[in-house]
Amino acid sequence: MQHNQLSRDHRAGMRKFMDQYSIMLITVVMIAIATLLQGTTFLSLSNFINIIRSNSVVGIIAFGMSLVIISGHIDLSVGAQMVLVASVSIDVVNRTGSAVLGVLAAFAFSCTLSLMTGLIVTKGRVPSFIVTLGLQYIYRSILIYSLNGGGTTTSNAGYASISNYSLFGWLPLQILYFFIMAAIFWFVSKRTVLGRHIYAVGSNEKAARLSGIKTDRIKIISFVLLGATIAVAAVAESSRMGSINSTSSGVSYELNAIAMAVIGGVAMEGGKGRITNTMFGAFIFGLINNILTLIGVNTRLVNAFKGAIIIVAVLLQRKSKER
Amino acid sequence: MSELALNMRGMVKRYGGIPVLKEVDFAVRVGEIHALLGENGAGKTTLMNILGGVVQMDAGTVELFGKPITIESTRSMQEKGVAFIHQELNVVNDLTVYENMFLGRELRTRFGTVDVNAMCEETERIFNLMQVQVNPRALVGSLETSTKQIVEIARSLLMNAKIIIMDEPTTSLAQHEIDRVFQLMKNLAHQHQVAIIFISHKLGEVVAFCDYYTVLRNGEKVAEGPITQEDGLPIDQADIARMMVGQDVLSVEVFRERPLGEVVLKVDNLSVGRHVHDVSFNLKKGEILGITGLLGDGKEQLVRSLFGDLPNDGGTIELCGKPYQPSHPSHGKKSGLGFLPANRKENAIIKDLSIQSNITIVCLEQCKSGPALSFKLERQMAEKAREELSIKAASLDNPITSLSGGNQQKAVLSKWLDANPSVLILSNPTQGVDVGAKNEIYAQIMKLAEQGVATIITSGEAKEIMKICDRVLVMYHGRVCGELDRSQMTEENIMILSTGGACTVDRSEAKCSTIN
Repeated sequence: MQHNQLSRDHRAGMRKFMDQYSIMLITVVMIAIATLLQGTTFLSLSNFINIIRSNSVVGIIAFGMSLVIISGHIDLSVGAQMVLVASVSIDVVNRTGSAVLGVLAAFAFSCTLSLMTGLIVTKGRVPSFIVTLGLQYIYRSILIYSLNGGGTTTSNAGYASISNYSLFGWLPLQILYFFIMAAIFWFVSKRTVLGRHIYAVGSNEKAARLSGIKTDRIKIISFVLLGATIAVAAVAESSRMGSINSTSSGVSYELNAIAMAVIGGVAMEGGKGRITNTMFGAFIFGLINNILTLIGVNTRLVNAFKGAIIIVAVLLQRKSKER
Repeated sequence: MSELALNMRGMVKRYGGIPVLKEVDFAVRVGEIHALLGENGAGKTTLMNILGGVVQMDAGTVELFGKPITIESTRSMQEKGVAFIHQELNVVNDLTVYENMFLGRELRTRFGTVDVNAMCEETERIFNLMQVQVNPRALVGSLETSTKQIVEIARSLLMNAKIIIMDEPTTSLAQHEIDRVFQLMKNLAHQHQVAIIFISHKLGEVVAFCDYYTVLRNGEKVAEGPITQEDGLPIDQADIARMMVGQDVLSVEVFRERPLGEVVLKVDNLSVGRHVHDVSFNLKKGEILGITGLLGDGKEQLVRSLFGDLPNDGGTIELCGKPYQPSHPSHGKKSGLGFLPANRKENAIIKDLSIQSNITIVCLEQCKSGPALSFKLERQMAEKAREELSIKAASLDNPITSLSGGNQQKAVLSKWLDANPSVLILSNPTQGVDVGAKNEIYAQIMKLAEQGVATIITSGEAKEIMKICDRVLVMYHGRVCGELDRSQMTEENIMILSTGGACTVDRSEAKCSTIN
């Protein structure tokens, strides 16, 4: 009996391990392939910084998106919301000359928008897919109207340094934001009552409610936390470029953020997922682009590979669960 | 009668090295209702899952009607005439009754379109055979749970099943429906030569309706035999229960007299929608109050509104002397109520979380050190609950779904322990739980009552109420139509009141009002 108990525990442990780390395995395999193909060019620090940097903006949003999906919802408006928030931030910077006020405005505005999203979803009992699909059109349209179809720019040096300054000369702050957000969202999801309640609500809302959890409040807070990641992303993006464009900025960011979460194992039906794995999802997104460029495949094909990776990653995770 | 419909020999199944079936032989004759008995975890569901093609066996042979077969898939077993009616309802709420009946096997007209009329007629025919009135075109979602179950049974009849496996089919049915379904089952078995394998924890049903029994314990067959003994009398329920658990449990006395305190909960003329009308009662500290009645009596709506899960429409509630108007379950919890809802899987289990996280979900705030959760405090809380209720789990970090039904129920009950509720409401606390775990749960309820927790238990089983309650309210069509104290509690009195009949107990003792 003792022996059987051990072997069952061992098996359960194995399954848990696969559940948790299959995504890291994929990452390692991809890195190995790329190294075989490219050798040290690929393994250089500057290349890795490139990979992470190029996907850090969407990656930051993906952390918030993961929480919202775990809570059983989704947000399709994040791309448009990010550009809208960035345009407000740039406007405030240009009017006041203060980068700090611009950042504060971005947070206030973005969290308010997401609070509104959460309120419509919970109090209005409209599916979040529908609400945010509508909001996405509204945000993008208002943006194009107010910027006359063009963009907006800022030449504020302080604002520009938010993303472009490099610590020690080699570590861009933008990458730091990505890891700081990862740490914060990991902490919220794993080490706080709120995080546990988000999982509970997404897994079985009825049971969560009957355990005395204010389920609507939990969902609204998840949306507001997503709003905060959108604000960080908006500032990071507009600071790096010094501008945003009403039609071309932030396009399909929402789908990329969802894809990173899904590759990381966040389940669309809610209740399941890990922030650390979403982080790997973001790495993988960057790796695909980078590997294809390095081996000289036409980058127009990059989305085909991304699509395949999404499906394969989910297939692998499903398989490891069935075992 | 002697021909074997099913003959399973030397069945072996291991899960990760743990044997759950150890060379079990199991045979069912044509035309018999065969009760497959055992505690949760005894292996009966695994054995039936093998037969249904849901899981693969590690060793053994299976013969159907004398022919050896290999079991490939669920579908192939269905084609061989094996129907499996699971414990959980397996109907699509958004489809009509006839669409559910013919799901995946729709009848077609010559033109290839679905033949609605033919399907409705066929559905009608099956229902006539079952002697039930259900509109084939009704939306399944609009039906009562019991009727949904009937639709499922009807579906297996439609498939011309030769062997029907029923896994606790009666847990959601009212008594008169259970009787009707069994009458039909008897008819099917004895007249139409169908073999029925019946898994149940309700030994009363088994003795009343089955022909033969097999008892499994820890993956081994420990007994089998005809229900009717050589002396012509049915086998004693207590004997079967003893075989199931290996010890004498049915006669364990859990109820203990104890002094009751002051009134904790006072409910006056409470109404909830069209389900509950003008209900009034008091509940004292340390008292265990039962609320019973037949399906549709409103007891579930009553307790859900007390906890704040349903809004009430008038009436006053006083909790510990203060007015209490619950607006949300979180409010009920904050006010000192605890609630274990009925239908564990749907309402109580958080399937993606671990055993530990399910136990600590109610009192998670107590596990904080600073803003962060302390794993140590959380582990302590869960360990305490595991010990208190002897929850059998390999590790508290395993998913809650890895536990057997009885242990799941103990886990969801234990989550309220650290909340120290002054009033604990338990809906069907032993639903789908085996005999051993049942007694452990009763003992825990009694222990809490002795510590002064005022408890409300809703249950459709008179035996359960009689086992543990100080007092019972019997509801009929949303009204309390009678109240019995412990000395007046008999199955007969409870049944008379819950069917709306006039009360035969002393009127000066019990408050009775005749309905309609």
